[in-house]
Amino acid sequence: MKSLLIAVKDAKIHLKDRKAILMMILMPILLTVILGSALKGVMGGGSMPKTVLGVYSPESNAMTEVIIRALGEDGLAIIVERAESEKQLLDWMEEREVHVGLLLPDEWDPDTERAIILRTTGQETAATLIRQMIETFGQMSQAIANSTTTVMAEAAALSSDGSTVDMEAIQQELTTAIEKVMNEQRTYVSEPAHEESVSSMQYYAAAMAAMFLLFNAMAGGKSFHQEKRSETLSRLMMTPTSVRSILTGKLIGAFLFAWIQFLIFMGATHFLLKVDWGPSILQTLFITFFYIFSVAGLAMVVAAFTTNEKMADIVGTMGVQVMALLGGSMLPLTLFPEVIRKIAKLTPNSWALTSYTSIMTGTSWSALWLPAGVLLGIGVISIFISSIRLGRRIA
Amino acid sequence: MLTLSDVKKSFGAHEVIKGISFQVEKGESFGLLGPNGAGKSTLISMICGLIPNGEGEIRVNGKLVSKHRKETQQMIGVVPQDIALYPTMSALDNLMFWGKMYGLSGKKAKDRAKEVLEIVGLTERGKDRVETFSGGMKRRINIGAALMHEPQLLIMDEPTVGIDPQSRSHILETVKSLNEQGLTVIYTSHYMEEVEFLCKRIAIIDEGKLLISGTKKDLNNRLAGGIVLKLTVGSLHPSFIEQVKKLNGVEKVIVQQAEEIDVHLQSKMESVADVILLASQSGVVIHNMHLKEANLETLFLQLTGRSLRE
Repeated sequence: MKSLLIAVKDAKIHLKDRKAILMMILMPILLTVILGSALKGVMGGGSMPKTVLGVYSPESNAMTEVIIRALGEDGLAIIVERAESEKQLLDWMEEREVHVGLLLPDEWDPDTERAIILRTTGQETAATLIRQMIETFGQMSQAIANSTTTVMAEAAALSSDGSTVDMEAIQQELTTAIEKVMNEQRTYVSEPAHEESVSSMQYYAAAMAAMFLLFNAMAGGKSFHQEKRSETLSRLMMTPTSVRSILTGKLIGAFLFAWIQFLIFMGATHFLLKVDWGPSILQTLFITFFYIFSVAGLAMVVAAFTTNEKMADIVGTMGVQVMALLGGSMLPLTLFPEVIRKIAKLTPNSWALTSYTSIMTGTSWSALWLPAGVLLGIGVISIFISSIRLGRRIA
Repeated sequence: MLTLSDVKKSFGAHEVIKGISFQVEKGESFGLLGPNGAGKSTLISMICGLIPNGEGEIRVNGKLVSKHRKETQQMIGVVPQDIALYPTMSALDNLMFWGKMYGLSGKKAKDRAKEVLEIVGLTERGKDRVETFSGGMKRRINIGAALMHEPQLLIMDEPTVGIDPQSRSHILETVKSLNEQGLTVIYTSHYMEEVEFLCKRIAIIDEGKLLISGTKKDLNNRLAGGIVLKLTVGSLHPSFIEQVKKLNGVEKVIVQQAEEIDVHLQSKMESVADVILLASQSGVVIHNMHLKEANLETLFLQLTGRSLRE
């Protein structure tokens, strides 16, 4: 009961703090508008960012034209730019005007000649995708070429028997078949469908929610030190209230304010910015519950492992910014190399953000158990460690 | 109401409370005098259960604080030295919050908060944020928060630090009135005039030790001299001090600074004349002199050789 009193008091104090309101509620809305609008073009008319592929082919033959056309198909997240020369392609790479470069040799034949794939730093995933697509194209074209040879030989044999064979029709049919197979192969190397269909505004709404809820960790940590500095913590300790109740109250307070912050943010982005948070609000609230729990735990960590407000401010701000960057709140995770994506899994906001974007495009409840479990784990461990330390410090 | 028996407390190797014992009766107003760093706040923190006492016993209404922390805390109202309030909350909300922390329900807390606002004379400002208040008004709400749960024992730790004379006077009158209504009060300060005004019994502590305790009369009887002759001299010869000490009617001589001397006298005229004559004979030029009645501050000076405000 007393924990609840402390929690409500903390939430009221937060809500009366104009600076906190500006920072925690208005700022994320503003940033969603700015980033969501600014990166709309980059994200290719609202969806995830496209890979820009620079291609140079000294000789144009049927094979190079087929692969270039195939890579530039609308369904793929690839923009193909053709270079006039190898030097121009290398210049584009240096200037980072293209993410991946593709050098096709003279008279390129995927069976005998290897294409060279160039990549810029941080575009390892995109380069791997392009390589896979070309390899697949090579394998398929080889298989079909073999079939063609066989069919043509058979047809020639029939022709020598006096039967009539329409060679042109057969050739046309085979070409169509190659193209069809190529199209089928594309789905094999594409990114998961849901990531591709999140708009920039949706993405940044989720990203800002994840980032600014994280700021609660800093605010919660600071609130503890404020209470200590203003001697209200000592006064609380002089009331018939246990240390556990006080700590629980501070935790619930951080939890409560984070909920208020999220619900206002979600409502504002939905009604003002027309952000679609997905078909299941329950799923969103489910993940938010666990995410806020983990953030409240981190608030306790900030309080426990810093000695004053200034330190909590510095540590909190640095921590939030690093986690926001790693967790995809500043730039989409798909732009990061694989190793960074793996590191990002250590941050609670990356789990929250990935879950939010999945929910936005429709996902199953079973897909949310893992992120919920990870967030719960982060929260439980944080609360356990920090409550031991804080308990000792207060008592 | 409150009994301390040989209470000791150390922080690491540093002993800050060195075996203090005293008793405060129900309805009494008890003053705890001592300079900054004497150990007053540590002693209060131990009585309130904020920090555990090392050795000895502290009992509130017969209950050991170390064993019945919550019960004893419920009987005590504490006014901390700092203003321990939430500045962005209104005075009323602050009072209600502290009342609820002592177990008052919503309606009761609100009614009591209104009563308390009246006691501290701030009914008109109840809905205003505490951060908009003057220092004196904040101090009054700080006291009010301690009164919310109608404690049996009110402990006030230097409640008038840094406030205007009007607010100080209001606070002193309020506390006196509460004590007259039966509330037991422990008042700590290094302003001896406040303690003299409020308290019937006084204890003086310094460097963690209880130097003396008793009623004001008891303490006055312990004063080395009833009158203090304060002298400012041009140049001071060491032999002059020794000769003054040997004069009849001189109880004690304390050299405050190089050119300032306090001479504690038993009676007024004879001894004053003797001191002036001796100065003249010793070639000591007196620039200024005045007589002062001895008080608790004088007593503290006699006991420690230091001023209360040092």
